Amino acid sequence: MADLLFPKAALVACNGGCRNESCPYGCIGCGMCVAICPFDAIAINKNGVAEVNESKCQGCGACVTECPQGIIRLHEAGSPIVVKCANRDSGKAARAACQVSCIGCGICEKACPSGAARVEDNLSSIDEALCLACGMCAVKCPRHAIYDLRGVLTKIN
Amino acid sequence: MATFFVNGRSVTATKSQSLLRFLRDELRLTSVKDGCSEGACGACTVIIDGETCRACVPKTDQLEGRHIITVEGLSDWEKKLYTFAYGEAGAVQCGFCIPGMVLCTKALLDKVQDPTEKEIRHAIRNNYCRCTGYVKIIQAIQLAAKLKKEGAIPEPTETDWKLGSSVHRLDVEEKVLGYGKYPDDWYLPGMTYGSAVRSQYARARVLSIDAEKAKALPGVVAVITAEDIPGENKVGHIKHDQYSLIPVGGLTHYLGDAIALVVAEDQETLEKAKKLVKVTYEPLPAVHGPEEARLPDAPRVFDEEENNVQAYKHVARGDAEGAIAASKHVISRHFETPWTEHAFLEPECAVAYWDEDGFVRILSTDQSSHTTLHECKLLLGSEKVRVQNQLVGGGFGGKEDMSVQHHAALITYLTGRPVKVKFSRAESLLVHPKRHPFWMDFTIGCDENGIIQGVKASVYSDTGAFASLGGPVLERACTHASGPYNYQNFEIEGTAYYTNNPPAGAFRGFGVTQTCFAIESLLNEMAERIGISPWEIRYRNAIRPGQELPNGQIVGPETGLVETLEVIKPYYDAALAAGKPVGLACAMKNSGVGVGLPDWGRCKLIVEADEKVHIYSGASCIGQGLGTVLVQMVVTNTPLKREDIVYERSNTWIAPDSGDSSGSRQTLITGEACRRACEQLTSALQEKPLKALVGQEFYGEYLAKTDKLGADVPHPVSHVAYGYATQMAILDRDTGKIESMVAVHDVGKAVNPKSCEGQIEGGVVMSMGYALREQYPIDENCKPIDKFGKLGLFRAHEVPEIRAIVVDKPGLDKACGAIGIGEITSIPTAPAIAEAYYQLDGQRRTTLPLTNTPYERRG
Ligand code: SF4
Ligand code: FES
Ligand code: FES
Repeated sequence: MADLLFPKAALVACNGGCRNESCPYGCIGCGMCVAICPFDAIAINKNGVAEVNESKCQGCGACVTECPQGIIRLHEAGSPIVVKCANRDSGKAARAACQVSCIGCGICEKACPSGAARVEDNLSSIDEALCLACGMCAVKCPRHAIYDLRGVLTKIN
Repeated sequence: MATFFVNGRSVTATKSQSLLRFLRDELRLTSVKDGCSEGACGACTVIIDGETCRACVPKTDQLEGRHIITVEGLSDWEKKLYTFAYGEAGAVQCGFCIPGMVLCTKALLDKVQDPTEKEIRHAIRNNYCRCTGYVKIIQAIQLAAKLKKEGAIPEPTETDWKLGSSVHRLDVEEKVLGYGKYPDDWYLPGMTYGSAVRSQYARARVLSIDAEKAKALPGVVAVITAEDIPGENKVGHIKHDQYSLIPVGGLTHYLGDAIALVVAEDQETLEKAKKLVKVTYEPLPAVHGPEEARLPDAPRVFDEEENNVQAYKHVARGDAEGAIAASKHVISRHFETPWTEHAFLEPECAVAYWDEDGFVRILSTDQSSHTTLHECKLLLGSEKVRVQNQLVGGGFGGKEDMSVQHHAALITYLTGRPVKVKFSRAESLLVHPKRHPFWMDFTIGCDENGIIQGVKASVYSDTGAFASLGGPVLERACTHASGPYNYQNFEIEGTAYYTNNPPAGAFRGFGVTQTCFAIESLLNEMAERIGISPWEIRYRNAIRPGQELPNGQIVGPETGLVETLEVIKPYYDAALAAGKPVGLACAMKNSGVGVGLPDWGRCKLIVEADEKVHIYSGASCIGQGLGTVLVQMVVTNTPLKREDIVYERSNTWIAPDSGDSSGSRQTLITGEACRRACEQLTSALQEKPLKALVGQEFYGEYLAKTDKLGADVPHPVSHVAYGYATQMAILDRDTGKIESMVAVHDVGKAVNPKSCEGQIEGGVVMSMGYALREQYPIDENCKPIDKFGKLGLFRAHEVPEIRAIVVDKPGLDKACGAIGIGEITSIPTAPAIAEAYYQLDGQRRTTLPLTNTPYERRG
């Protein structure tokens, strides 16, 4: 259940498929967000990338400005289907950089029943005002770049 | 292969398929509804490990070890709790979305004991309901939370089943618990699956059909083409111009035209086989809209027609032109309204089989079983057909025509096998008739006091690929274009054009939703010109008892337009005083077919062996609650109690034909027939007790007699009754969004006030969609391009406060004073909202959906 007192939560658009090695866009595991978060809501996970605990996050946005990679943004806390990738390289390069990168194939856009999933600059994004949280994109994504934060339709890590 | 738990039981899914298919087809948990299979509607919602999730999304292989709950798996206490809460709140209409909503309720209450309204809206925001406007579902969830905490379920507040009592609808339990059957919930032994191969081109000549490869595929039972049809190929409500199958050499009329029917043992083979049917075409230029259709050298949509005019109507009384010329103030404007998709939650489905008496039995979801019967008999050239209505998951006008019923009947007739024909959501969006888009030019003339002198208008509509109810819709658009006002100089002409777009037909409001937007918007502009309020101009012109409508009809003492204006006044004044942008509009809508057409209500009360009275009437409950209305009629008009009465779903062999659920007519017309049957039964009961009447039948019928359009009498009675309404929209100046809607309706006697409110809320929210966001875009190939989830239907978290007020003014001496409410709820909404936006930003908007609002669709 989303905490409606704090309808926004931070989201790190990377799931660490390259283990901070080859992707120029993703999380570098620097830990600046972890340090700045006043609510102790971010930690570096086992993939070596920052991950937000939505039940602690109060949507203050401190990490958003802090992130040197610019890959943290605020999203609707009640919207569980998210793209956790920031790689804008073309398919081939994106594939080479990471195991779970978005390659801009457009399958999510086709699968999405509500026009929420869009691919631009080789990267998928979800318009949360339109999203119905069905997760069709998460289930169909061949790269597992889209996640169900509730852990129902996809495993979290 | 995966093993997981469903309702606590361990199950193994051997082949990987969507969870929805597994739950329905293998476990037969049919409470899990298939509304789209594309993740959009939410009807298939289940709970997986405590979270609501759409069953059509995950594959069974992804679910190893998961715990899944459907409403079948609720505890007995939860079942009682939700049945009570949804019944008490009046939250159940067609019921198709309800099991999903119930599971959203459970998932929420399992986590939060005291949810706020915001949390409730959030919990159901991904599930669509097209009937209720969510208002009463939210109330049901609030009530369920309260009762869950208290740990006890009380008695219903109202238990007296007489007219005027908000008893729980009789179909609440079967819909909440999901055991009530819609056609798709039938699985018959040996049942095959049928589906149509549809045209590749909106307009083309079919040169050949080669089905050999498809027939050779193992598991294919038959491929049926036009030459196999034993009776008439062309069916239709009024005009028989809807091809059941396009023959070789024939012209296709739109992308939804069926070319061949494929029948297979299972759904997968069916899909494969459809691809193997090879059809060759000669593609021809298509007609994309009325502008093209009316050109002298336009391609003809029908080989059989001279031109593309499907219908033309001219309605005139007095001297509109002269009156306008002599008016102090004159305003002319052009208006446009879009296509709208009904978006009922249940896609079309029919099951057919040979019954024990040698009839083709059709289990259908439609707006009249008798109409389905007539059209299917025509197609089969046989009398051996019976139709039985199942639960209907919403209609709103979109289930009046043949979509799957005739195809199912034909398949069973030819193959001898039971069959299910079900539309995918995409097929449903393409095939069934939509709301007509209209283009309208209106001129109004008023004197210095704002008294209407005359109105002249000319309109045209796109009726698409076959007539459906295009003629009557055009006619109703024209007859009601005057608005509910007291003036006598009125003239309108209207034309409906065939095009190669999907067909247009009946849609809640039946043409009036369109012309009402024009006339009411003009009136708002006129009020400003004169310097009086939109309320004042309506109050000055409103039709009052004994006065003459522009159609010449003298209205009776039951006419309640003025009352709706008076009731809304304090709300209107308060909003103005608070400095809020507010808009107002009025409407009238006939109840009953009218204009001299035969309009029969028929009802049989049969005392059966269980010593109960069974109500049989060939009238569909499409979610509006007709069954409850009829039971309330019987309790009111006989000495019987609720327990003595059983409502039977409409069929064609016991239940007498009581016409379509259309034109807001069932409460009034079938209600009156039922009341008449009650008179017979009551007098029999004076002689004998009920159990001594076993085997007897009591019959009532009612002909709503009217005069035909343009009848040569001084005051033709166009319709036996009209409902009246005033609706108001209040905006929030900061957000530019709607803060609240107030809808005041004169419905005569409200049979079940809570049901009636539910109709109003649902109608208002549906038309907020029409006013602000809904579209049905069609591309250059005459192909509708949007999916269900993109139509722009309102969601629970976006719906503002809706205040539904029923003015209980004694109605006609028919049906105990009840008048239908179904359609008018949707009519004045759009012009009221348009005016509110004008008050906000000074921009007059003459097209729908309204532009420059925060609701406008992106992309
Ligand atoms: S979850 Fe569904 S609605 Fe949301 S972006 Fe993905 S496919 Fe579209
Ligand atoms: S059937 Fe699953 S969302 Fe519509
Ligand atoms: S009751 Fe919700 S869709 Fe009909």
